[in-house]
Amino acid sequence: MILESTIKAFELLFSFDKEIYSIIFLSLAISILATIVASFFGTLLGILISISDFKLKRFTKKLVFTFMGIPPVVLGLIVLLFITGPFDNLNLLFTKSAMFLAQTLLVLPIITGNIIISSEKTQKKILETATTLGANKIDKITLLIKEIKPFILMSIILGFSRAISEVGAVMLVGGNIKNDTRVMTTYIALNNSMGEYSSSIAMGIILLLIAFILHTLLAKFRGDFYD
Amino acid sequence: MIEINNLVVKYKTITFKFEDYHFKKNKISVISGRNGAGKTTLLKAIASLIEYEGKIKVNGVITYNSQEAVIFNRSVFENIIYPLKIRKLDISLYQEKIMEYAKVLSIDHLLNKNALKLSSGEKMKVAIIRSIIFNPEIVLLDEPTTHLDLESITELSNLIKKLKNQITFIIVSHNKTFIEELIDEEYYLGGKICFS
Repeated sequence: MILESTIKAFELLFSFDKEIYSIIFLSLAISILATIVASFFGTLLGILISISDFKLKRFTKKLVFTFMGIPPVVLGLIVLLFITGPFDNLNLLFTKSAMFLAQTLLVLPIITGNIIISSEKTQKKILETATTLGANKIDKITLLIKEIKPFILMSIILGFSRAISEVGAVMLVGGNIKNDTRVMTTYIALNNSMGEYSSSIAMGIILLLIAFILHTLLAKFRGDFYD
Repeated sequence: MIEINNLVVKYKTITFKFEDYHFKKNKISVISGRNGAGKTTLLKAIASLIEYEGKIKVNGVITYNSQEAVIFNRSVFENIIYPLKIRKLDISLYQEKIMEYAKVLSIDHLLNKNALKLSSGEKMKVAIIRSIIFNPEIVLLDEPTTHLDLESITELSNLIKKLKNQITFIIVSHNKTFIEELIDEEYYLGGKICFS
């Protein structure tokens, strides 16, 4: 059964089926876009939270760490309630924009939290040294970003992995509509429920391949990350 | 150059109460005292890196060099020019000076190497050059000889002596040979103030 499904999977892969490849493209597009946006805001937020002293800092950090582990389906539900409630007039339900929004919100705390953790480990000494060398706040933030660059990249990898492998939230807000909002994970979930395991395995293999290629590319930028 | 009055520093559960000190211009002052007497705390307070009560009056730009050299992930040269870069100074005007200091401390052959890959002693030398390259008036050195071999300690002494007329050095060190080589004034923490 497994072997048969795997062979079928490869047949499907090399049949260059239009639907399969449009699903792959949509998954990649939404996940990459969500990761880029979340990386920008997450890096800024993470660094600002870690270098600033404010009254609710501990609580804010706890909140970020809690949201790092939020089940995607719960986040999907929250987004769903918002886009069908106060923001109903935007007509976001079952759209790619809603999927992008859900994935961005899912990835944001992962990147922010990881940057807080890595930055707090190293930032004290770096900032102290920069201060004594005459650096202003912008110099210090720039220096810190450069010094924790490998950790930022690591956080982005984690964020992207979470985005591309996520199913619950995009299923809820995207609706898994054929030729519209169907992505790799929702395709796998649907085919599993119909007993079409070969299609699921094919998509699973592609998902793993994409993850492997992306991690390899990012590791190149990171240098000795996997050494 | 530096006047300290009624200085009190609270660090976790410990409170350090310091005597009044006056560090003079272009002198090499050595702060001595037993472990835990508050030598590093005093230097950090002078550099305004920690909160304190009392009065510290500093005349001039000050820089602090910590016990463990904090090195940025870039080449030795890039580390050294960091304070020049943030001041938007013309690096080419400092090339000669960088080479000179690097030669005195025997790290001139390492300028293009990634500073994180250096030994602890070499890192300390990089950090010291970085803290003096932009001509601060006061340099605070916290245990600068910890990771240095005997030859390197002599090299550092030579560099400090050379810069004595331009920079006021305040040094915390347990290395007697190093101290004796340089000392103009000694301040003993946890007891009376001694002048040599």
